[in-house]
Amino acid sequence: MPTSHERSSPERRWSIRAPQNFAGGISLIALAALALWLMSDLPRGTLRSMGPAMLPDWLAIGVGLAGLALVASSFKPGEALERWSLRGVFFILLAIVGFAVTIRPFALGPIAIPGLGLAVAGPLAIIVSGFATPEARLRELVILALGLTPFCMLLFGDLLNLPIPIFPQSLTGLFPADWSQKAVLRATAALMIVGAAAVFFLGRGHKADQVDVAVQGGRG
Amino acid sequence: MGDFFSNLSLGFGVALSLQNLGLAFLGCLVGTLIGVLPGVGPIATIAMLLPITFGLDPVGALIMLAGIYYGAQYGGSTTAILVNIPGEATSVVTALDGHQMARQGRAGVALGIAAIGSFFAGTVATLVIAALGAPLTKLALIFGPAEYFSLMVMGLVFAVVLARGSILKAIAMILVGVLLSTVGTDLETGQERMTFGLSFLSDGIDFAVLAMGIFGIAEVMRNLDNTEARDIVHKAIGRLLPNKEDFKQSYASVIRGTVIGSILGILPGNGAVLGPFASYTVEKKLAKDPRRFGRGAIEGVAGPESANNAGAQTSFIPLLTLGIPPNAVMALMVGAMTIHGIVPGPQVMTRNPNLFWGMIASMWVGNLMLLVINLPMVGMWVRLLKVPYRLMFPAILMFCAIGIYSINSLPTDVMFIALFGLVGYLLIKLGFEPAPMLLGFVLGKLMEENLRRALIISRGSLATFIERPVSAGLLAVALVLLVLALLPSIRKGRDEVFTE
Repeated sequence: MPTSHERSSPERRWSIRAPQNFAGGISLIALAALALWLMSDLPRGTLRSMGPAMLPDWLAIGVGLAGLALVASSFKPGEALERWSLRGVFFILLAIVGFAVTIRPFALGPIAIPGLGLAVAGPLAIIVSGFATPEARLRELVILALGLTPFCMLLFGDLLNLPIPIFPQSLTGLFPADWSQKAVLRATAALMIVGAAAVFFLGRGHKADQVDVAVQGGRG
Repeated sequence: MGDFFSNLSLGFGVALSLQNLGLAFLGCLVGTLIGVLPGVGPIATIAMLLPITFGLDPVGALIMLAGIYYGAQYGGSTTAILVNIPGEATSVVTALDGHQMARQGRAGVALGIAAIGSFFAGTVATLVIAALGAPLTKLALIFGPAEYFSLMVMGLVFAVVLARGSILKAIAMILVGVLLSTVGTDLETGQERMTFGLSFLSDGIDFAVLAMGIFGIAEVMRNLDNTEARDIVHKAIGRLLPNKEDFKQSYASVIRGTVIGSILGILPGNGAVLGPFASYTVEKKLAKDPRRFGRGAIEGVAGPESANNAGAQTSFIPLLTLGIPPNAVMALMVGAMTIHGIVPGPQVMTRNPNLFWGMIASMWVGNLMLLVINLPMVGMWVRLLKVPYRLMFPAILMFCAIGIYSINSLPTDVMFIALFGLVGYLLIKLGFEPAPMLLGFVLGKLMEENLRRALIISRGSLATFIERPVSAGLLAVALVLLVLALLPSIRKGRDEVFTE
């Protein structure tokens, strides 16, 4: 994962001495090629009446030229690539995508996920993303998730009336039929807060049993 | 002159209504609350909090958004001073001396002078906007498509010159930004461009989504790399109000910072960013003993903070008079206005005078509120900053996801913040600065539209941009700037300004 290239020795003149610029240049060229390919079946038109592809094509050529210049400049000494952590990036992307597919009913090919609402998607996002750092502790994250989600539910769903799904659709039958949407929302929020408090106080007694996740996680 | 006062009194009549006062207060408060979180700058804060203004009337919504903006900015300064993590480019400078003051037990004075300086700068900038607003709107009448296009080119050149690091990379980022803005249905011909056949891309990429990914999510990923290098001041905050000696040392810096910031803020192309850097450099040059800078000099906080706030405010001028957003924050304001059915530009002042002058007056009110709420609440912000980052970032992430989902109720928007977060993270790792890309994206659609119109009017002749005197002048300025920035001697100076 740490991708710091070795600095090449000065006598090798044609080696890449600025990996950061080289990688940046290649990415720009790839982007330009992609754009030109996507625009290839659209007409450019003339200056007098510009077609849809004219400006994007010019821009893509500009991007490609900048990329070439960057690649050329990477033979001069320059900055190495910085190290990056795959762990952080992975868990954060996973958490956001998890939120996106659970907040509302989602279907992609054979996979179908019922809409679970903020009550599930929120805690899921917090707990999954929490593991982006090696210092993650599950109990802490559960308390945070159960404490913060009801706050957001009340703020966005109750106070601001934004159309955000709150509650798993399949479970609406659990509440008395004559309860309003808002009553269900408030009851769920209250339940989650009680849950957060319970985890907080129960966990205090046997701290020794707690699994410390930090031990397992290596630095990315 | 009579107009000036009658307009301002109309504005204050709107801004001082009980509802709008309440909204300004609430905006400042939540803006500071989110902005104080390390790594969350004003752009991410506004994108996150945009949905909470949807239910309001247009005037109230914009007043609240302006409050959120100032709050977020002040919150960023608070974090810079207390924790040495600047939330965005403009508070980098504040962190230099502000954090040193905090280590010497003078955090309170640093926060106090920042608030007082900002308030003074805000007052002056409000007057500048009120005075320049009307004449500049008239200027807009002589602007045709060719002039608009050239002005935006000049703005983008400014952004290149002002970006840190390699000029080549900054140019590439601008081009990528404009290229991204062409994704979606072509307005003129109705043909879909670069949408991969995906229906949610046919409206183009949403600006809030791009901004949130690049400035919210990518920032979280980047902060996770430098694990917990936070440096919270454990010393007492100390007294908040600067004493006579402090005032004597800093009042001139506040005035100079205000002037520098106000002028730079009006420039298209994110000139406001340069304000704090320029002010800091000027203060250091003028100081009797420049060695004090970087070791807790009060002038090094007072000047840049004033410049920052003045620039933040005068950057509304290009938006309100010409309809051109000069930076990413203003682009978010455009988004908010569009949602409420207002098209930003010269016609706002004549068609919605209540909104125009009410917003200007509320800028001053917002600054006053920051002074009133922030100083007594410093203790609360300090406590918030002591929450470890491992608990803070999951919360930031969830706010981002909920915020972006509530704008359009589209799960794909949420996925896209993940994608742009990854893109932003890679950009940072490859040494590209994302800010010019965002500006290119912001101006891209307007540029294409005006380029097309100008070419239709001129029957396909590119010479129109040079033949029309105003357009030629703007392009000449852009060219001179670019050449100057590429000259080796100036380049060295530019690097010095940014590394300081």
